[in-house]
Amino acid sequence: MLGEFEYVLITTAAGLGGQAYGAAIREQIARTTGRKCSLGALYTTIDRLETKGLLKTWMGDATPQRGGRAKRMIRVTAKGVQAAKDFYDAVTRVSHGASWVVNQTGGSAG
Amino acid sequence: MSLGWSLTEVAAHLLHHEEREVVLGDLSEAHESTWHGLLDVLGLVTRRQLQLWQNWRPWLSGFGLALPSSFLLMGASVGVSTAYQSLNGPRDIDQHLLFICQVLLLAAWSWSGGFVVGKLSRLTLWASVLLCLTPCLFCMVRFRIPSLSRASLLLFLLPAVVGALQGVRRIQISLKAGFALAVSVTALMVFMCSSGRLWFVNWSLIWPVWYIVSTAPHASREVERS
Repeated sequence: MLGEFEYVLITTAAGLGGQAYGAAIREQIARTTGRKCSLGALYTTIDRLETKGLLKTWMGDATPQRGGRAKRMIRVTAKGVQAAKDFYDAVTRVSHGASWVVNQTGGSAG
Repeated sequence: MSLGWSLTEVAAHLLHHEEREVVLGDLSEAHESTWHGLLDVLGLVTRRQLQLWQNWRPWLSGFGLALPSSFLLMGASVGVSTAYQSLNGPRDIDQHLLFICQVLLLAAWSWSGGFVVGKLSRLTLWASVLLCLTPCLFCMVRFRIPSLSRASLLLFLLPAVVGALQGVRRIQISLKAGFALAVSVTALMVFMCSSGRLWFVNWSLIWPVWYIVSTAPHASREVERS
């Protein structure tokens, strides 16, 4: 099963679609989770997920905004989508009945 | 260009070329403070280095070859210098022959050791260099032979550096050339041993040449593939 950060990364990359690359993913993760993501954590996790076949990466175009340097573009593979879905289902199942989940759906915690 | 950014670029040189471009591009785009960028790059470099050390190659290269060989090669360098001093004119052919054998062996051991270090641990070469130079500095400080210069300890360095650079560039050694080198070195060592001029511990310096032979067929297959 995926780790928490692996799930966050895959979900963020999937959400960004064709615009998924290092800087965009870091910015999106910081915005949605409120936590800064280090370059080390990002790129070593991307490598690990690519080795597992959950992501595919390739070198994109260089842009002036990046000082003429290339991007490492990222696409989530079908296997990656399935792994993220399995993780989400597992978290949903394990969270069933938890007080914060019941409160969120309008019920009482007992 | 700020000092922080210059340092970041220097630190990024420890990464692969493609990753360096990507990381520096990400930092430019994010407009992060240069010092945060530097820490980020150093963090990535550290993680990459730690990943490399999970493999056996840097360990073998650093602790199995660079560190022990530097002591032995310094001893052999001093041996060559001493042999040179004790040459008694052109008539003593035996001594000249032994001296030439010592020089050839020192060059072959140093080059093959450097080559294997460079080939085994391209990205952790800095560690092997450090493990080789630390004993050198230690021995230079404690060097106490009045008739010899301290530099005589380091005769092995030039062929070792040439070998390491060729190893890093993955220069292909054919099986034939590698085998010829290994057989020659072995023959020279047997000859020196029979004349009582070879310390038995120096036999451990033989494995890099035979390692080159053992990896040569793979290397030629790589050439065919490419």
